[in-house]
Amino acid sequence: MSEYQEQAPPRLFLRFFRWYCHRDYLEDIEGDLIEKFERKADQTDIKSAKWGFAKDVIRLFRPGIIRPITQTQQLYQLDMFKNYYKIAWRHILKEKFYSFINIAGLAIGITCCILISFFVKHELSYDNYHQKLDRTYRILQEYKSGNERATAPAAEDYQVWGNATVGPAFTEEFPEVDQFCRFTPGHNKLIKVKDELYDEKNIVFGDSTVFDVFSWELLSGNPESVLNKPNTIVLTESLAKKYFGNEDAMGKTVIYSQDVLCVVTGIMKDVPANSHFTFEGIISMGTFYNQRSWIFESWGYVDFYTYFTLKENANMESIKPKLAGLSEKYTGEWEDTKFYIEVEPLKGAYLNSVAARQPGKTGNKSSLIIFSIIGVFILLIACINFINLSTARSLERAKEIGIRKVVGARKFSLVNQFLSEFFLLTFFAGILSLLLVFFLSPYLEEFAGISIKTDDIFNIEFLGIFSIGIIIVGLVAGSYPAFLLSKFQPSKVLKGNFKTGKSGVALRKALVSFQFVLTITLIIGTATVYNQLTYLQEHELGFEKDQIIVMDFGYDGKVQENIEAFKNEFEKTPNILSVCASRAVPGNFFPNAGTQIENPDGKLENHSPAIYEIDPDFLSFYNIKVLAGRGFSYDHYSDSVDALIINNAAAKLWGYNNPEDVIGKKFDQWGKTGKVIGVVDDFNYQSLHTEVGPLTLRFEPYSMAKFSLKLSTGDIHSTIANLEDKWNELIPDRPFTFYFIDDSFDKQYNSDEKFAQLFSSFAVLAILIAFLGLFGLTTYTTAQRTKEIGIRKVMGASLRSIVILLSKDLSKLLLLSFVIAIPISWYATQQWLEGFAYQAPISLSVYIITAFIISGIAFGTMSWQSIKAALQNPVDSLKNE
Amino acid sequence: MSKHHLGEFEEIVLLTVAILRDEAYGIAIIDEMESRLKRKVSIGALQTVLRRLEKKSYLTSEFGEATKIRGGKRKRFFSLTAYGKKVLTEVKEQRMGLWSAVPEFAFSY
Repeated sequence: MSEYQEQAPPRLFLRFFRWYCHRDYLEDIEGDLIEKFERKADQTDIKSAKWGFAKDVIRLFRPGIIRPITQTQQLYQLDMFKNYYKIAWRHILKEKFYSFINIAGLAIGITCCILISFFVKHELSYDNYHQKLDRTYRILQEYKSGNERATAPAAEDYQVWGNATVGPAFTEEFPEVDQFCRFTPGHNKLIKVKDELYDEKNIVFGDSTVFDVFSWELLSGNPESVLNKPNTIVLTESLAKKYFGNEDAMGKTVIYSQDVLCVVTGIMKDVPANSHFTFEGIISMGTFYNQRSWIFESWGYVDFYTYFTLKENANMESIKPKLAGLSEKYTGEWEDTKFYIEVEPLKGAYLNSVAARQPGKTGNKSSLIIFSIIGVFILLIACINFINLSTARSLERAKEIGIRKVVGARKFSLVNQFLSEFFLLTFFAGILSLLLVFFLSPYLEEFAGISIKTDDIFNIEFLGIFSIGIIIVGLVAGSYPAFLLSKFQPSKVLKGNFKTGKSGVALRKALVSFQFVLTITLIIGTATVYNQLTYLQEHELGFEKDQIIVMDFGYDGKVQENIEAFKNEFEKTPNILSVCASRAVPGNFFPNAGTQIENPDGKLENHSPAIYEIDPDFLSFYNIKVLAGRGFSYDHYSDSVDALIINNAAAKLWGYNNPEDVIGKKFDQWGKTGKVIGVVDDFNYQSLHTEVGPLTLRFEPYSMAKFSLKLSTGDIHSTIANLEDKWNELIPDRPFTFYFIDDSFDKQYNSDEKFAQLFSSFAVLAILIAFLGLFGLTTYTTAQRTKEIGIRKVMGASLRSIVILLSKDLSKLLLLSFVIAIPISWYATQQWLEGFAYQAPISLSVYIITAFIISGIAFGTMSWQSIKAALQNPVDSLKNE
Repeated sequence: MSKHHLGEFEEIVLLTVAILRDEAYGIAIIDEMESRLKRKVSIGALQTVLRRLEKKSYLTSEFGEATKIRGGKRKRFFSLTAYGKKVLTEVKEQRMGLWSAVPEFAFSY
């Protein structure tokens, strides 16, 4: 033996030769080499023979001998691939049911992923179109009074909404600042165009720098000068169309607030949907200045959103330390209040900003993360289905694999074959999911305002990511079954006593449990979200909101002067039970007011609570409970001059735990001084996301903007028609607008509703996919045990015992999944609920219902198959042996 | 004529294959060339030429039986095709024509 080894040519060179030599020449040239080697080893010594062999191998390494890298190999590969696909096709068609489950499950998973990624992409794209985004910032402000005024406010206490003076001060004090630009909120504005009245909610005042700071596109007009004069207005395309139809709006006149004529100096494209701040028109800031110039000098009057850009190369870090100095310089002499300034970048403000009083909608980072996780979950569940079904069905392919191996297939080519088969399935799923995306895109638009156009799909970026995604999904779902299948040993397989390995079964069980865990978590999540929303809707708000409509007259002076007469007129309308007037109504906009009230130590203390300006009917109209003192009354003539009502939260803020104690204390607010006459219960004037904050209410006839009317449960349509007639008769120069207060209050939960709907539809999809998989799997495992069932029946087993036998495994898995899923989902839902000040108690019923649903569906799926199997006549299952 | 161009080494290999008739496989060809021409030939050089000639259809080849020597590898026996013979003959005639055209005196010194 050792002699033979010594005689052998050097292995390394032989292997090298075998590697590079052309397959057709390999055998005879190798023979020649060995013959020469052996002869030389005989004639001289082994060493020089080896040396000669090595030399020959190296000299043979030349173009005529080396195998081509591609040509012949490729031909051979292509033929094999053709064969693989042919076989794959046959399998797909042969097992239509399993192929359908596989493809449908994957397609749904991929569709969810695509839709969610469009959603995520949309959320991340907010404001990104501004060219100066990287150096655009916005100013946050907060006034702090009372004992804690020396501590800087928390990030969520800062407001985006602030005074008009800080912007100019920035450009004056900081050389780094390039331009500032202010907007006012788009409160109701009365617009008259060609004798037609419009109540516009989204026209703002804006500085002339707007088109320099932001990259909104002007279609006509000079971006530098469109807004630099008073009485000018820029309209968006759609608003121009609304006012002027197809005429050219440029140079036309629009009347704002009855008597202010504004010339249209520019038409801009509509503000893109992915903007944190949107409006339909901008009236020049100079117009506002002419109306109320003192606002522009006041550091205490709040009505503006201020943005600014830095000069190129300037650094925000150099400004930050100087902010406190700026505030000190302009507001240092304030005795009881301290003014705080903060800045935040516009980039990412939509998602990241926690400041209060945002100019528009804000994104929700956590729902973004939740949806991304759900997308991954769904895809995982679909992949697991795929793995489960493919490994479960591997027995069927065992013979094929055995034969292929005997004929000479290597493991590598078998892996190739199965992978390409799975890729084919994934590819179909991908195509199907694209179709689904097209089909579902209108729903996404409705839910999230994201439209998916063909352009969004048929571009290189999307298709590239899509194909890579498909390949990854194919690999994730296909590689385990492919490697498992290719490992089969032909001798065992072909003998016929082959069983899938124990490890395969364990893995399958683990994957099914994992699927269950994900589905249970999603179901519990859905149940919790709905539970919370119902809780919010049914929560006692502390005021009446049913059958109440609100009509807005926009601070109209003529109405304010005769407010009681108007109230009486409306009350006379049929089906109207009562009427009250106020500046704000629950669930809508309200301002804050710097307020001083005497604290228990007898000193005036300053805070900035919310303020409601109401008439004496307001409290009884909305059924708000008076805890101490009394409400406003027409009998007390001085109530509109020197009386203030506060809510319980405000009483606590000023240090009175017993509401009785604050009655009769002195107050000073917005130019009014007098005594606190009453304390009302905390009613939720804001959404239940937040606790009831401190609130002050005062009787102010000349600040009214809205009528609230209570309807009897009669014919609402005719009542409203009557009201409109009355309105047009009494207030002809204002458009008639109304809304139901419960609708408008519940609108605050719109985004929660949408979240719930999206969440539950994805959860349903996930459950659907998981159970498709479970169904396929049980069908298969039951089929595997047909003979066993047959024999058991022959021996006398009852239907019940067979069903129990078949369901035993599943029950164990379900139980295990529950044990794992409950803490996970408890933690996750707890996190979500923290966003609400009023949380529905976590009820056991959520978990019990989930348990019932999931076991119901799981056993339903299972027993469908097992009962069918158990009912089968054993003769049929046993005869063909 | 140029399409039948044969290199010197190619011509020698073809001739050696012709000499060996049914015994012309790699090592035998090398042995024959070494003994007749006193010329060292490597397997690499020879095999490249053999494959090239086969590709040009001057040669054809077939496997012999496997034996215990040579590590159990079969020999590949080469033989001239009719076309190969024709080309060889043509080359020989060209040479002869050239020789006959050489004047006697050219070799006189």
